[in-house]
Amino acid sequence: MAKTKGSLNLLKNKAKKEIDSAKDLKDLDLIYKTYLGDESELAQILRSLKDLSKKKKAKIGKEANELKNFLKIKFTEAAAALKEKAEKEKEMKEWFDITVPGKKAVSGHLHPITLVRRKTEEVFQSMGFSVIEGPEMEEEWYNFDALNIPKNHPARDLWDTFYLKNGLLLRTHTSPVQIRYMEKNQPPLRIIVPGRCFRHEATDFSHEINFYHVEGLMVGEGISVANFKAIIEEFFRKFFGKPMEIRFRPSYFPFVEPGFEIDMKWNNEWLEMMGAGMVHPNVFKNAGLPPHQINGGGWQGFAFGIGLERLAMIKYKVEDIRLFYGGDLKFLNQF
Amino acid sequence: MIFSYNWLQSFFNRKLPKPDKLAELLTMRSFEVEEVKKTGSDWVLNIDVLPNRAGDCFSHLGIAREAAALLNFNFAASAGKLKLIEDKNLKAKDFVSIEVKSQSCCPRYTARVIADVKAGPSPKWLKDRLEVCGLNSINNIVDAANYVMLETGQPLHAFDLEKLEDKKIIVRFAKEGEKITTLDNQVFNLDSKILVIADAKKPVAIAGIKGGKLPEIDESTKTIVLESANFDSSIIRKGSKELNLKSDASLRFEHKIDPNLAETAINKAAILISQIAGGKIVSGLIDFYPQKVYPKKIKLDLNYAESLLGVKIPVMAVKDILSRLGFKIKNLKLKIFDVEVPTFRLDVSVQEDLIEEVGRIYGYDKIPAVFPTASLIPPQRNDNIFWADIVKDIFREMGFTEAYNYSFQKELGEVEVENPQSQEYRYLRPSLIPNLLRNIEKNIGSFNQIKIFELGKVFRDKTEKTMLTGVVSGEDFYRLKGIMDLLFDKLGIAKVWYDDYQATPEDSHASLWNFKKSAEIKVGDIEVGFLGELKNDPRLTAFDLDFEKLKTLATEEKEYRPISKYPATIRDLAVLVPPLTRVEEVLNVIETAGGSLVIDVDLFDIYQGDEIADGKKNLAFHIIYQAQDRTLTSIEVYKIHQNIIKALEENPTWQVRK
Repeated sequence: MAKTKGSLNLLKNKAKKEIDSAKDLKDLDLIYKTYLGDESELAQILRSLKDLSKKKKAKIGKEANELKNFLKIKFTEAAAALKEKAEKEKEMKEWFDITVPGKKAVSGHLHPITLVRRKTEEVFQSMGFSVIEGPEMEEEWYNFDALNIPKNHPARDLWDTFYLKNGLLLRTHTSPVQIRYMEKNQPPLRIIVPGRCFRHEATDFSHEINFYHVEGLMVGEGISVANFKAIIEEFFRKFFGKPMEIRFRPSYFPFVEPGFEIDMKWNNEWLEMMGAGMVHPNVFKNAGLPPHQINGGGWQGFAFGIGLERLAMIKYKVEDIRLFYGGDLKFLNQF
Repeated sequence: MIFSYNWLQSFFNRKLPKPDKLAELLTMRSFEVEEVKKTGSDWVLNIDVLPNRAGDCFSHLGIAREAAALLNFNFAASAGKLKLIEDKNLKAKDFVSIEVKSQSCCPRYTARVIADVKAGPSPKWLKDRLEVCGLNSINNIVDAANYVMLETGQPLHAFDLEKLEDKKIIVRFAKEGEKITTLDNQVFNLDSKILVIADAKKPVAIAGIKGGKLPEIDESTKTIVLESANFDSSIIRKGSKELNLKSDASLRFEHKIDPNLAETAINKAAILISQIAGGKIVSGLIDFYPQKVYPKKIKLDLNYAESLLGVKIPVMAVKDILSRLGFKIKNLKLKIFDVEVPTFRLDVSVQEDLIEEVGRIYGYDKIPAVFPTASLIPPQRNDNIFWADIVKDIFREMGFTEAYNYSFQKELGEVEVENPQSQEYRYLRPSLIPNLLRNIEKNIGSFNQIKIFELGKVFRDKTEKTMLTGVVSGEDFYRLKGIMDLLFDKLGIAKVWYDDYQATPEDSHASLWNFKKSAEIKVGDIEVGFLGELKNDPRLTAFDLDFEKLKTLATEEKEYRPISKYPATIRDLAVLVPPLTRVEEVLNVIETAGGSLVIDVDLFDIYQGDEIADGKKNLAFHIIYQAQDRTLTSIEVYKIHQNIIKALEENPTWQVRK
């Protein structure tokens, strides 16, 4: 009897130790089978009770059942603890850091002037303007004379020109395309002319020897300064994504009359944005179209010229025009 | 140009707006005022007078006239009303004789003689006015002439009569070899293109540009000849450029001045001199003026003005604006005005000029924004731009960065700039490659790999064309060839093939390529460009395509090829070929023998090594078999594959590895 009691105690201590050291639920399950399974020592003791005396039966039976209950509680507790531990481990394993920097995706870059040019074309095309181009090497007639800028006239000083040994010059604006287009097309006309232009000047943060200009021309019946105002306000609104405050100041360009300069308010300052005006009658004549006649008839229209670098500098906050032509990938790869 | 606020105020009884307010008004209605600065008791306005208005507005009177129109002010009765008192006993013609050799170069020459003057310092008020305007005081006579120039815009010059040889003034071109020392002691060699004022023997002034030292006014001067002339603007402009000499006078003359101004100005100056330097104004204005200029008349159609500006301006406002600017109007009751243009308004010659005057003074801010009522004509597509945008997007997708380089280069080109900005930019680029190479050089230290391209004009003789060019570092020939294939595929251009590079003598940039590793890209029999390694740096590969040809070959049309529902079978095949055999030859044999059930042949390995005899190379292919209408049986595939092997082995030097 003492033996049985001692062996029950031994069993209890052994089982306790093993339960405490179980690593996981699977492990615990095996231990359970060892101590509480059908083939376990305890099951055998309980089964052998029927062969014992009534007194012994009562005593050992009680002790064995107490151990059984004790072990059951112990197993339940251990199982709960192990389950919690397993869940924690699983959670740790699945933990994911979304703040790790993304892996670099490779893409190329378009030049900022290309981006600004596309936007400009898109806005004007939406208003019915066709996009037209012309040669970069130009004849003096188209670049100057036809635009009402005669030879030896101080007005020519407004355009510092590169002359070429082949007798041509590098166009100083895309305005010559006005003439080339009007020679071949009858009004009503609505065109813009983006393109590369050249000026012979010292380069600095706001001057380059080549740059991009967009010339605009609209010719039709009764086209007015008021019409130009509406078109250009719409352009700025669409280009910058919000209505912009603009103002017209008198200015002088030989190919327009009246002529004006358009300023735009930006950060509380007026920025010169473009030159514009109503097409000069001499320009119509030089392009073979009749200008307004005193007895009625003839054409009228507006023209303007805007620099793409200027637009890009404002849009992208670039402070030095030379960056556009410097070929520095640290700059170009930002677009 | 610098203007004095107090001086402008002196034309009016009414008070002008504060300097910054006046500046704002001028900016919005006349000319941009760049700066307003207080100096002593006066303010300086730096006004950017527009070049077409130099004739009347390089003067305080001109700006005052603008102010009068803007503010609706009347000129003070006292302004400009001076009384000329001549000494009837003395006759100008007895003192000096004037001869103008060329009427076209000098449309008017007026002179006055003032006797018994006393040259000396100027009164303070005069010194102050000149100083505010940035001129140094010299003496009362010179200062008076300068003062009248600043007031009226007419340059004047004073000679010491005693110092003129034979008391003669001749307006003529200089003779070769003649020299002159100017008032500021510079010596100039003259030639027959320079107009001068000469005495009987020698030049005493460079006409319209600068006075000479010789007949300078000094304390001993007793009798002066005052000149107020009109010179041809282009002669003065060219002369000033040639001598590299500019002055307040040349600036005004080269912009053209009204010849009628000469008389008003000389009388003002004579009166002022007689007041501050004493002396008697000798009677008689010497006046060479063979062809008097009269006011022009222009018709102004008010309906047109309204149509052009897009706003209706009241008739009375139109009349007010024009009269305050000095225009005279007739036919006030009709819708078409007859407008007489004052001769000082050299810029006004057509009615649009008048409409501008009315519009700007009325205020451009009062013109509403009104959308045109134009017909709904959709814009035309520009094919050049359409394809340029597509090509640029393709290169961006392939990881290229777009560059914009100068159209100029220092390397020899066919088109040379007459007046280059520097030696670095002497020629127009005949190729985009040299500047792209500069981009590579600039960036190669900071990047492992560089892929850049540019779409731009190149120049030859009198023609220009658009090229599409790129340079790549860190990729070999075949990678770039793959990029070309993708480009042509996306542009819908089939029949692209690569031919051996053949340098031709007229190929100016032949020297750029390592021709052993370069190919000519052809579409059918059209040459569209080059591809290859660059000669000077084997790490760099480049392509150079004629964009004008690309855009005509490109097509938007694309046809869907049905995807077979039946599985494909892949068989590998390896061939040993002599070292100089081209892959293309092998591919051609496979494709021909394979027929339509071979849908793709993919070269996956080229191996050449010591263990293969005779330096032969092993080419390994995946051959993909597929039919549109059925699953191919292994027997079918086997038969075709055997056909291919047989065809390959017909070449005795090729050996299919089994």
